[in-house]
Amino acid sequence: MRCSRLSSLVSIIQTTNLCHRFSDGTQSLSDVSLSFQEGEFTVIAGANGSGKTTLLRHLNGLLFPASGSVSVCGKSVKKDPSAARRQVGMVFQDADSQIIGDTVYDDVAFGPENLRLNHSQINQRVTQSLSDVNLDGFDDKSPHNLSGGEKRRLAIAGVLAMTPRVLVMDEPFSNLDYPATCTILGQLLKLHEAGHTIIITTHDLEKVIAYAGRLIVMDTGRVVRDGVPAEVVVGIEQYGIRPPCSIQLGKGIQPWVS
Amino acid sequence: MFDTAREGYSTMGELTTIGFKPGLSLLHRLDPRTKQLLIMVLSVVCLRGNVIFLTLNSTLLILLFHQSSLRLIQFIREIRYFLFFLLFIFIVRAMSFSEDFYPVFVVANVREAALVCWRLLLVVLMGVLLISTTRTADIRASLIWFMKPLPFVNERLAATTVGLVVRFLPLVLFQAGEIGDVMRARGIEKRKNPLVRLIKFTITLFRRVFLRADDLVDTMQARCYNEYRTLPELSFTKVDGVAAGVCILVMLTAVIL
Repeated sequence: MRCSRLSSLVSIIQTTNLCHRFSDGTQSLSDVSLSFQEGEFTVIAGANGSGKTTLLRHLNGLLFPASGSVSVCGKSVKKDPSAARRQVGMVFQDADSQIIGDTVYDDVAFGPENLRLNHSQINQRVTQSLSDVNLDGFDDKSPHNLSGGEKRRLAIAGVLAMTPRVLVMDEPFSNLDYPATCTILGQLLKLHEAGHTIIITTHDLEKVIAYAGRLIVMDTGRVVRDGVPAEVVVGIEQYGIRPPCSIQLGKGIQPWVS
Repeated sequence: MFDTAREGYSTMGELTTIGFKPGLSLLHRLDPRTKQLLIMVLSVVCLRGNVIFLTLNSTLLILLFHQSSLRLIQFIREIRYFLFFLLFIFIVRAMSFSEDFYPVFVVANVREAALVCWRLLLVVLMGVLLISTTRTADIRASLIWFMKPLPFVNERLAATTVGLVVRFLPLVLFQAGEIGDVMRARGIEKRKNPLVRLIKFTITLFRRVFLRADDLVDTMQARCYNEYRTLPELSFTKVDGVAAGVCILVMLTAVIL
């Protein structure tokens, strides 16, 4: 199920006055109203506990709002979470917890199997997704034996195999070394160029800010800034986010890798 | 519980000895339905089997472990707590009480006690062999095939439950290993009372396992999990027939000899 072509003119994801409260009474999201356009590369930044992950979980239908609404392609996520999950693929922060299959192939095939595709379609999607993240030939390996960067790429492949329109990633660079971070960043840019809408949360702007078209800053469950990165990043320290080195050195936003 | 030094258990991959290991061995190539059926029948026969049958079955298992590139010693180490349980059963079965109510070992009971422990160990090892050479998805598909004719049973739900248990077993072992390491690093050995150590370990383990289960549920939901997902294709081959024939011959030794 795809959004209609007309929907590219309007937002693909819309949150309206979204509020969320955890069972212990903590207000994790307050009055969050955002709109994400198709093809955007958005970075959501914020300190720990600012509500970034909670917001992402609402976009994928893993959490439902206490008040307000979330819609994907014009459909309420609360009313049809399965439709939202088909459109919005989520890559979790902990790649280990995202491993479901006994082998790399099985793990990537998990999503297409749930979509009840036939075996030939499943095989085609798995092969394509593994190729997209440069994991060709890993089919029969145990996912637990992969490196941190490979696991993260496997998680992305697992989501890509469901052919979502939006890719949301929670702290995609956490616990990765420099080469693995470069690889993941390269994959993300490639996916964005291929037309995917990408939403990333991070508290470390350094790596992605140069490639994002939009920067949203969250603080204690509220959206406090939203706009073009070069403008939003000024004075961002007050929200517990370290500005990129290039900004601190007065060189403006510079790419993290050449 | 925390005293046993664990060698080189640093990653999930190294720790998941009990869990599926990809491979191309004979057991890996067998249809999961054949494996499950043979294990069920062999387990039943095992519980009444004589020494000749148990010896043959043990030899067969050792050969299969070797052929599947699995390390039997590693598995035995993983199930060491079960071995303590077997020791307990052995003592209970072998012991008797004298007229003065003193516990004494009865030589006649020792043979029977050893046989009981041997049988139970073989059943567990057969289960471990099944888990190690069969994908969880195949185990689930096979169970659905077996349970389909049963009335009033939601075979997909039942098979998913079993599949999740199989899937979760290595994770529990991994969490247990990690918690053990953390507790040793913080000097749990200084607590002399084993009950306190056990309670602290168990509570932490349960908390971690439940959190991990929550993560797994989120992950499955995020990828549109439903019970009516596409099942793997299962097919019997000649190898299944040969395997069944060999197992029947082994089982006959329990009946004839």
